Amino acid sequence: MQTEILQRPDFSMVRATFDRAGEAIVATAGTMVSRDTSVQMKTGLTGGLLASAKRKLLGGESLFLNTFTASQPGETVYLAPAAEGDIVELRVHSGESLYIHSGAFLAGEASVKLDTKWGGAKGFFGAGMFLLKAEGDGRVLVNAYGALHPVDVSGQGFICDNENVVAFTDGLQYDVRRIGGMKGLFFSGEGLVCHFRGRGRLWMQTRNPARFAAWVHPFRRTKAKVEAGN
Amino acid sequence: MQIDLQHRPSQAMAHVVLMPGESVTAESGAMVGMTPNVQVQTGSGGLLKGLKRMFGGESFFRNTFICSQGSEVGEVYLAATLPGDLTVLDVGASKYYLQSHAYVASTPGVDVDTRLGGFKTFLSGEGLFVLKTTGQGQVIAGAFGAIEEVRVRGEYIIDTGHLVAWEDSLQFRITKAADGWIASWLSGEGLVCHFTGNGTLWMQTRNPSEYGEEIGRRLPPREG
Amino acid sequence: MNHEIARGPSFAVLKVGLQRGDVLTAEAGSMVSRFTRVKMRTRLNSPRGAGFFGTLGAFITALIRKFVAGESFMVNDFTCEEGGEVTLAPTFSGTIAVRQLHGDRILLTRGAFLACTGDLQLKMRWGGLRGLLAREGLFFMEVSGTGQLFYTSYGGTLEVPVNGTLTVDHGHVVAFDPTLDFKIRLPGGGFLGLVASGVGLVMEFSGRGTVVLQSRNVSTLTSWLTPRLP
Repeated sequence: MQTEILQRPDFSMVRATFDRAGEAIVATAGTMVSRDTSVQMKTGLTGGLLASAKRKLLGGESLFLNTFTASQPGETVYLAPAAEGDIVELRVHSGESLYIHSGAFLAGEASVKLDTKWGGAKGFFGAGMFLLKAEGDGRVLVNAYGALHPVDVSGQGFICDNENVVAFTDGLQYDVRRIGGMKGLFFSGEGLVCHFRGRGRLWMQTRNPARFAAWVHPFRRTKAKVEAGN
Repeated sequence: MQIDLQHRPSQAMAHVVLMPGESVTAESGAMVGMTPNVQVQTGSGGLLKGLKRMFGGESFFRNTFICSQGSEVGEVYLAATLPGDLTVLDVGASKYYLQSHAYVASTPGVDVDTRLGGFKTFLSGEGLFVLKTTGQGQVIAGAFGAIEEVRVRGEYIIDTGHLVAWEDSLQFRITKAADGWIASWLSGEGLVCHFTGNGTLWMQTRNPSEYGEEIGRRLPPREG
Repeated sequence: MNHEIARGPSFAVLKVGLQRGDVLTAEAGSMVSRFTRVKMRTRLNSPRGAGFFGTLGAFITALIRKFVAGESFMVNDFTCEEGGEVTLAPTFSGTIAVRQLHGDRILLTRGAFLACTGDLQLKMRWGGLRGLLAREGLFFMEVSGTGQLFYTSYGGTLEVPVNGTLTVDHGHVVAFDPTLDFKIRLPGGGFLGLVASGVGLVMEFSGRGTVVLQSRNVSTLTSWLTPRLP
């Protein structure tokens, strides 16, 4: 399967071209732009319905995924994330997993296993987002809101706003906290931040989805107005 | 201190490198990442200033990022809320007005004050206030979309939602887009800003309120 | 008249230099700036010189377009006796494309029209009953005649030739050749697919022609935003 990233860097879109019948790509629900009609599309939950139900019961998280399978060589699928921004292709190898923000996982080869692990007692992200662990051998496509900025972490480490975290490599330890002391706790406007230590790579996104959601919130119609209009 | 703008023109982020003891002040929520040797102080810069900012629709508090004393430099990455470009304005001999949402950060020598923009700016939906920057130093301004620099020689008309910043050598008047009130409303252009004089203005190629309205009306309604 | 599409590809603006006798017809609300001497005249979105019944018909069509298709009720005609410049921009981030029509036709989706010059007719075409299932209804604008058409996209654009059949998420379609046949379908994947796949209505194109895709989709953006709202 060939993967190309088009329309970079602001509206990146993936074109996956299958080499053989039966090849598949697994993508997050809602990301299909177009496909040759003969490509089969099946929707499922990570690991199958039963495994997902078990996970939900035990407090884990689930992702809705679509599997696109080729019926002939040369067929294509176009995938795009919801937010504007870039996409990068990363590889996982046995022994070298990747931690990915659940909202940043766009697609991956079927050989990559997705483990829904949620980060820390304090919670890593809000709004039902969680940290995904990608293991196995294969390619994953990760998207960002904004541009993707890699940071090589070593020495004193690096602090990143949680909402700007896209993905990071196995060798990093992370510690979630607030910044700015007591006043900062309530007023800094900075949410949770993550202090990364160890050796590895962190990918940040240059825009913050929670900030964007807060910005757009006042433009929503108010319930009273909507009811009055009906 | 060094300010380096990266990922231009659409997803711009400012990479600020601070020497030990140096600081930069930024809008609430603007930090993307930083090195651990940078301390964050949350403050208002004065009760009156904070209150004025709040009335202007901005946050009461601003964050000041200070690089700890020691041997290593500190780094802070700052970004605006919406996708778009950033520009650095040198305040000193020139003074600038900024549309209040355009402010991202500034160096300590710059005084950023909230001023009344006039009743008509309020009607135009852009808010009642503008920011005036004076003193000595640099201001980082953010745009929604790309930034176009326009040298005004005489006069120029611009939709208020597309304004980012302008030199204080320009006079501006808010006027109706067309000759009559109804015509202005129908034209969809609302109120426009009529600049006269000589100076530079910076405009953004997208209108945040228009964008917010388009998205907002498609979202589930909120508690009133 | 001369034009320049600047600041592309992500936040493109259209700058048009007007000479005496030129008329630029633009979507209401799209003006960014203009020289003071450029004149703006607002009128109903109907053919110029239509007469009373023509205008009444246009009034009703314009109303339908406003409430169903999201096109503006009014358009602005920009002219300049002494020569001047006007700058237009769409609402969403993305590109602006220009298409020269010589008596041929092109179909645009809702919201894609920005401006036009020359002798072009703009007609609304209905997408069929299934189209009503799409939250905003499915109307297309048929542009025909001779002149220049400026249209916009949310995201980057990609022209995809149809060979066989192509299935496209309807939110990602910007424009297509009228030589193509299309059917509007539910996304497939069974009941679970409808609910969970996240893909909206799809358009299945067949025949010979080109489809212009955009790499972002407003419906997907709002679904992405909704759980993140405060």
